[in-house]
Amino acid sequence: MPVLRTRSFGTLDFEEASAFFFPRGLPGFEEERRFLPIEAPQSHPLLFLQSTARPELCFITLPVLAVDRRYRLALEADDRAVLGLAEGQAEIGRDVLCLAIVTIPPGGEPTANLLAPLVVSLSSRVALQAVQHDSGYSHCQPIPAGETSEASC
Amino acid sequence: MLVIRRRAGESVLIGDRIEVEVIELASGRVKLGFHAPMDVPILRKELKLTLEQNRVASLGVSGESIARLVEHLRQRRSDEPPAGRE
Repeated sequence: MPVLRTRSFGTLDFEEASAFFFPRGLPGFEEERRFLPIEAPQSHPLLFLQSTARPELCFITLPVLAVDRRYRLALEADDRAVLGLAEGQAEIGRDVLCLAIVTIPPGGEPTANLLAPLVVSLSSRVALQAVQHDSGYSHCQPIPAGETSEASC
Repeated sequence: MLVIRRRAGESVLIGDRIEVEVIELASGRVKLGFHAPMDVPILRKELKLTLEQNRVASLGVSGESIARLVEHLRQRRSDEPPAGRE
């Protein structure tokens, strides 16, 4: 089993097949392709995405539904094609995982990027960051307090 | 901010290397054409915002900040009664 050195989680064994594959990387990180999802009971419901190539690169994410229960995901045809999803096949929890990247600025309040969620195909683990251009969602949405029970991603 | 009105087919020049042409106006959207050298990046604003946000988000944060966020997420919302009381 391959071993992953990480800054935050020490050295991990991991299954290649568990990693999410971003064929286009992410804006600003176009060369990054594989991220291993890591969750721990003590940090639930946060899901960490650890780069398999760079030990120091790890994004903190939250299911979008934990930030906004009524979040509507609208994928452009181009994005659906990359993810291998037909029209109407992008339901959060059934077809895709939909995660918002969390930013914790030093001395500031944490926010979530609802403008451009990470969308992961549940069947193939292919993923991308889908900028929701016409949505009106914020790239720095304050995160509400509250029980996030089993919010599906 | 400089505000200029243009009709479809008209252009605006920025510096001496960039031209922005209004190609079409329809249903609340404008189609713009850009003539610019390859070294000038042209991005929809939301993409730039996302790019910058990703960069800030990728910077390491303390375990303490994460613990605080988790605590915040687990707080009972103020409109819900505490468990076990009617």
